[in-house]
Amino acid sequence: MSVHDDPHAWQRPAPGRPGGGVSMPSWRWLSEAMWRIEHSFGRARADARPEEDTRVRIFVILTLFSAVFVCLALGAVNAALLAPKGGVWSGGHPNAVSRADMVDRTGALLATNIIHYGLYIDPAEVWDRRAAAVRIKRALPRVSMSRLNRVLSGDRRLIVMPGLTPAERAAVHGLALGGVSFEPEDRRVYPLGASATHVLGVADTGGQGITGAELAFNREIREAGARGESFPLSIDLRVQGVLENELAQAVADSQAKGAVGIIADVQTGEILGMASWPTSDRLNRAASAHYEMGSVFKTFTVAAGLDTGRADMNTLFDASEAFMIGKRRITDFHATNQVLTLEEVYLHSSNIGTSRLAVEMGPTVMQDYFKRFGLLDAAPVELHESARPRRPSKWDDSTLASLSFGYGIMITPLQMTAAMGALTNGGRFIPLTLRKGGRPNADVRQVVSPETSLTLLDLLRRNVVRGSGGRADAPGLRVGGKTGSANKLVNGRYDPTHAVGTFAAVFPADGPVDARRYSILILIDEPGSYPRTGGFVAAPAVGRIADRIAPFLGVERRADQYRTALGEKIPAFEDVEGDGR
Amino acid sequence: MSAFVPLKRVFDWKIRGVRWIEIIGLALVAAMIFSVYLAKAAAASQGARIASLERQITQNGQRVRLLRAEAARLEQPARLEALSREAGLGPVDVHRQATVAGLPDLAPIPEPTPVVIVAPTIPAEPAAEEPQAEATAVTEDAQ
Repeated sequence: MSVHDDPHAWQRPAPGRPGGGVSMPSWRWLSEAMWRIEHSFGRARADARPEEDTRVRIFVILTLFSAVFVCLALGAVNAALLAPKGGVWSGGHPNAVSRADMVDRTGALLATNIIHYGLYIDPAEVWDRRAAAVRIKRALPRVSMSRLNRVLSGDRRLIVMPGLTPAERAAVHGLALGGVSFEPEDRRVYPLGASATHVLGVADTGGQGITGAELAFNREIREAGARGESFPLSIDLRVQGVLENELAQAVADSQAKGAVGIIADVQTGEILGMASWPTSDRLNRAASAHYEMGSVFKTFTVAAGLDTGRADMNTLFDASEAFMIGKRRITDFHATNQVLTLEEVYLHSSNIGTSRLAVEMGPTVMQDYFKRFGLLDAAPVELHESARPRRPSKWDDSTLASLSFGYGIMITPLQMTAAMGALTNGGRFIPLTLRKGGRPNADVRQVVSPETSLTLLDLLRRNVVRGSGGRADAPGLRVGGKTGSANKLVNGRYDPTHAVGTFAAVFPADGPVDARRYSILILIDEPGSYPRTGGFVAAPAVGRIADRIAPFLGVERRADQYRTALGEKIPAFEDVEGDGR
Repeated sequence: MSAFVPLKRVFDWKIRGVRWIEIIGLALVAAMIFSVYLAKAAAASQGARIASLERQITQNGQRVRLLRAEAARLEQPARLEALSREAGLGPVDVHRQATVAGLPDLAPIPEPTPVVIVAPTIPAEPAAEEPQAEATAVTEDAQ
């Protein structure tokens, strides 16, 4: 026992100094506990239970180690057997890209990411700088010679040119020059060039959308890219191609300054094609340009008149003399000088008739219906470019008369497409969309009754077979539509040499209100040829487009009550007037 | 304590003062270490192979993207239209279009002409081939 400490010392408290140093109760408790454990062996032996105490120690240590090893083993088993597949070797999806490919509704590629290469040169490793410069310039003609020389005469590795295509890289790489190296960079590529350029927009080198669908769906495109999927738009490239080609043809025929074409599915609001000419212009005229569209607005006035019950097809309007509002004298482009029914007002495109109807309905009703047709707000579409219309500031009789035939309000072509869709799909105003399959939980509202919609469809069709839209007919496709011709305000007055010719069409115009139906809007801005009216500059393009896209859209040629399936006249119906106003 | 007797025997089983149980344990541990090493080495080589395959997939993916973009560039609607106009092609006139349903009107299915089977001159008593040969001979004679 003598070699051991004094047994009484084992019961002693920890050798702390209660007077000084750390005197917190918790600290004291901890040091006492440590002290007790430290001396438990000796204390147990003193109590004549030495073996039992050793066993307890060994058992405790064994338990601790076992627990630790069991944890490690479970972790190892978990990592080996239950870890997610591919989680170790590949970070994320193997086909992941920063921005998803944009494809059309059939899967044709519209925009993609391609690895490009930045060309770097370290002049210290170049033997013959002059020869290197000449050879690189020959292999890569678009490189800036001054930049190349500046890098070659410098003293450190610098970038000469970013964005080499893989072919250009191969050409420069094939020179086998020292000091030339390449660094990959992800670039957004639009393989269609100018085609659909306004729909797609552009993304910057940082992978963020700047305009068009790239901006509108920026987040979703990036998410789809991370999943390795592509992002489908509502565009149909075949339809888009026909639209662009025919629009270019119409522009060439009419020597116009600009043009817009939009094709949409009126039942879902999906835009199947949207083109703005010239394509070199960054401005998307379909979404951002404002136009006074002229007589196409008569459709809205007539629709409002029919829907309120203020008029029906046989209501008479006196167009025998000019309509006077104060000092303003409203006349017809082709004066008929007779009393007209509402149908004749529409088919003859009588300003007097629609003005009388609009003034009769009054500002509240007109404003209400224009609001319902979305003519007073920006077109509801994902594009950020969609511009607000220029609305009239006051709604007096003179303004109402102007509005009734499409003056005094400047709207974007997309608004016109949305409104025409609402009038021809049973009266439901469906927001336009560039998303394939339509907009999820779209805010659809009923703006006119289905009966009004049916009446208008027939009226639009009659306008093509008997009225001003004859050149828009396509054999067997039952095209219906309304022409619009407006003069532009130049230096404060309407100048007949600066015109806008429009044709807003829908096909097929027959069948029930919920039948598959497509709208075509063609707008020709400042045509140079004469006559400048919509019936001459825009309608023929509509006819050609309908003729060519019908097979893609699955619209079959069929006879209706006015025309045979091959486009021959059924004698009871003939043109009342071929002026194309 | 009787339950521990066999256990005690196992622990007392020794060779040159070394417990057999320890020798067996060490041997097992050595075998396990070796097998783990083998497994790890195999896994590493598989991993390297996976990595190289994935690199290859990525490269091929890049190449596919490039080729798709190139195909899309070549199939630009404007380019195709220009090329086809150059080749003298254009939209088909409506009078020259037909649907599948309209085909019978355009080219009526010819009435199945009754097949003339010339009766063999000799009743078909011999082999089955003979009458046929006879028939062709007869038609040739007719010509």
